[in-house]
Amino acid sequence: MKSTATNTPVRRRRSFSPKDRLTLSAFVGIPTAFHILLVWVPAIGTIGLSFTFWSGIHLSDIKWAGLQNYNNILTGTPVFWDAIWHNVIWLLWFGLIATPLGILLAYQIDRQIKGHRFYESAFFVPVVLSLAVTGIIWNFMLQPGGFIQGIMGRDISNPVSIYGNYSINTYVILGIASWRHIGYIMLLYLSGLKSVDPSLKEASAIDGATEWQTFRKVILPTMKPVNIIIIVITVIDSLRAFDIVYMIYGSSTGWPILGILVFQNISGGGMSMKGAAYAVILFALCIGPMITYLKQSFAEDVK
Amino acid sequence: MMSEQNNGISRRSVLKGAAVGGLGLAAGGSLLASCGKKDAGPMKWGGRGLEESSVKWHEAVKAAYETASGTTVTLNMNDSNAFQNNLSQYLQGTPDDGFDWMAGYRMQFYADQGLLEDVSSVWDSIGDQFAASYKQASTGSDGKQYFLPTSWYPWGLHYRKSTMTELGLDPENIANWDDFMKMLEATKKKGLIGYALGDKGGWEAMGTFDILNARINGYQFHVDLLAGKEKWTDAKVADVFKHFEMMIPYMNKNVLDISWEGMRDLLLQKKCGAMMMGSWFSGDFKTKSQADYDDLWIVPFPEINPEHARDTIDAPIDGLCVAANGENPEGGKALVEWLASKEGMQARLDSGNTFTSANSGQDTSTYDAFQKQQLAVMGEAKNITQFLDRDTRQDFANPVVAPAIQNFLRAPKDINKILESVQAQWDALPAL
Amino acid sequence: MTTAVVDKKYKNSQKTKDRIISIVIGFFALAWLFPIAWTIWSSLRPYNDVISNGVFSFPKHMNLDNYYNAIRLMKLPMYLTNSFLITFPAVILTLGFGSLIAFVVSRYSFKFNVALLLFFTAGNLLPQQLVFIPLFKMYLAIGDFFGNRALLYDSILGVVLIHVAFQLGFATFVLSSYLKTIPKEISESAMVDGASVWVHYTKIILPLLRPPLASLAVLMTTWIYNDFFWALVLMKSDSKRPITSALARLQGEFITDFNLLAAGAIVAALPTLLIFIVLRKQFVSGLTLGSTKG
Repeated sequence: MKSTATNTPVRRRRSFSPKDRLTLSAFVGIPTAFHILLVWVPAIGTIGLSFTFWSGIHLSDIKWAGLQNYNNILTGTPVFWDAIWHNVIWLLWFGLIATPLGILLAYQIDRQIKGHRFYESAFFVPVVLSLAVTGIIWNFMLQPGGFIQGIMGRDISNPVSIYGNYSINTYVILGIASWRHIGYIMLLYLSGLKSVDPSLKEASAIDGATEWQTFRKVILPTMKPVNIIIIVITVIDSLRAFDIVYMIYGSSTGWPILGILVFQNISGGGMSMKGAAYAVILFALCIGPMITYLKQSFAEDVK
Repeated sequence: MMSEQNNGISRRSVLKGAAVGGLGLAAGGSLLASCGKKDAGPMKWGGRGLEESSVKWHEAVKAAYETASGTTVTLNMNDSNAFQNNLSQYLQGTPDDGFDWMAGYRMQFYADQGLLEDVSSVWDSIGDQFAASYKQASTGSDGKQYFLPTSWYPWGLHYRKSTMTELGLDPENIANWDDFMKMLEATKKKGLIGYALGDKGGWEAMGTFDILNARINGYQFHVDLLAGKEKWTDAKVADVFKHFEMMIPYMNKNVLDISWEGMRDLLLQKKCGAMMMGSWFSGDFKTKSQADYDDLWIVPFPEINPEHARDTIDAPIDGLCVAANGENPEGGKALVEWLASKEGMQARLDSGNTFTSANSGQDTSTYDAFQKQQLAVMGEAKNITQFLDRDTRQDFANPVVAPAIQNFLRAPKDINKILESVQAQWDALPAL
Repeated sequence: MTTAVVDKKYKNSQKTKDRIISIVIGFFALAWLFPIAWTIWSSLRPYNDVISNGVFSFPKHMNLDNYYNAIRLMKLPMYLTNSFLITFPAVILTLGFGSLIAFVVSRYSFKFNVALLLFFTAGNLLPQQLVFIPLFKMYLAIGDFFGNRALLYDSILGVVLIHVAFQLGFATFVLSSYLKTIPKEISESAMVDGASVWVHYTKIILPLLRPPLASLAVLMTTWIYNDFFWALVLMKSDSKRPITSALARLQGEFITDFNLLAAGAIVAALPTLLIFIVLRKQFVSGLTLGSTKG
């Protein structure tokens, strides 16, 4: 991206023709109304519903519940804490292992090491696959009769327990999730790296710094805006995690996580506003990172 | 809102129905008459189950109805799980006129919400083709009927005849719990899995829980427990899990890794002795090969408590409902009337479907040996339940009981804590 | 001067390090692709071959039978058409609306600019499930208001609209970032020349937005094509569902032909893989614009 000096909006009093005013109103109004109606109104609706008891069918059946759904979740649903714990583990894994790997990968590929074009594509392919396809691919690898079982010489009557083995299934799930996540982070970071001024790297090399030092002391600080965004995406995706777990365990709580609890309580005949409460808790946990993201993204504009 | 009486069907009523065998012309006559007067225009049928075998019989029956009535039917097939999970939206939105559904609490709930059409008039017309107990199971809490039964199947011990012969075992004659344990032990000694179980989906193990509870504590306790009248912390429930725990050493090691498909595969590939399942999976055996299907057999779960013997069985009833919000409810009624009748069910059986018809007038001479055995197993029971997740509240079955059983399978020693938690969560459920 | 010597030594040791790095990453890249390769491999073998001879046996038969059967059973034409009918309009509308907002917010200085951008970006981060229950009721109510209950529920239109609403935030954010890099002078001179807002947008800005629009189009297509949630909860007619439902038709075949399912998965993934391969460059630049600011 070029750095042009004169891009700040010029604040000038200007008068618009009526036709222009109309155009501008439409340009802003229509998309905004649309977005409010289909996203924000229902979101606020769900937040409100979390304070009620309702089966989801007749509006006349809505009964006020106050904080009872939340109370039920926090004190009467042990699986909730298992789910939160799993979200935390997910966050730690993504934050300390998967995302950093993606960043390092991006850096090496940006340096154009041999084969970098192939690597870029290879790591990104899992990101374009749909959930169902991902599920089938990994079932082929892990289930009884699958590749891993075959490698270990087990047939279907005595397979290695994977999804049901609670000492290792967490790592398996996180591994599959990382399979997608690392490629995504890699690409995000790569795009950012391409806009870093090459002369910075050259200067650092001339100064005798190793690649690692260059990365730590020069690249990383310059990429601060991107870093923030990567961190926030990592956090939000860890809290919102749902796909991979749903793909393996369906809507059962074989491996509880917040996203599954929401789904389990709003789908099926057992729809209860406890599901709405779960969704609100999820939303509340995401708000912190969201605000950070937005503040960072718009830091320049807020001047 | 739990209407306990509708959850069970007394055996005596079923017997009475079966004795009323060949209804022949009388029913046929009234059927043709109703066909003519009620069907108004094209209808829509919502079918469950996207597997090839399911689509096949749906299309065969649809074609047969179109020929018999001269009206067009639009068939709308759905994935079974997706359909179940979104039924609430389906019924509120733009449902098909008639659709495949199940008896029990799941039907009564939607009837109470006014989403199902009253089909008492259909019962007036073909009700004599069903045992009185089915009518009871099809009745909502307001005394009207909302459901037409079509097929049912038992939950029992399935096994391969050839495997049992090789092992020198005789599952048809297991007299009590000790004999059962001996059978599992003998199976394990020969290197096979005694009792296959896969509970990744959370519901599969409910079959085992249901039957153990019914055998040990009786039908009434089981029904009362699911209705909240008995407590999960009762010693009787702990006893059920004690027996369950005794079976664990004879199960496959990866119970929580696999779902029902895994169980089926274990039986298909001759890696296990017995498997507790509903007979609906037998179609898969038939698809694999006729030989495999012929090798398949079922017996009721053995007696444990002589006081209750083998008087109860989970025999879920599948059937049809008419949606209140459909475009053509009258057409829907005509559609389900024909589908549930002998003629409709015959068209289904003719397409190779391996279910047993709930219609007592059905010509069972074309049933194969396995179908006849299913009938025998169900016929033996005095009391019939619909399976845990059809017999209790939906916000309790899958969110609470399923994970509880999974936790038990992971750590059997924790059962007391688990049961306390289940009871606490039941108590915390809001009133319906 | 030791710089030259230091330089050379540094360059050599770095070259060796780089070679090692490349090999290590290469190994992981192959491991990354392996599960997909294994699935493709399995899809080319008839199931009976695998069952009788084992998973690792050298194949006696390899053919495309699984693909013929998968395509036949999956009813691809119907589902693919629906996917197209959903994805294409959704992408166009999202990009259209997004560009409108981005245009106003970055070319004109209004007080609400920042708030508006914040508003859209936050909306993009909301989880789908937070929104679904009231949205369903709203769709039915709007349908009833216009006399057609199936106007938005169980309709392609309804699914398109919710996709647009949800993706609008990301599109707006990316396009407004990009627009900031375009010199103000271009707009200034247009306005001085007396161009109306409409002309400003269509004749001047829109053509300049072609690169980011292309990249966003690629991204949005993939995301919307792969989505399974909205079609699952907002549609009841099988005939209207997109391709994410197609694989469910093969699930019952699991036992008799496991490898059939593999073929089905590959077939379902092909469109996105093709788009990715053909437009690889656009994918990268699409994400660039979202994550950095000039």
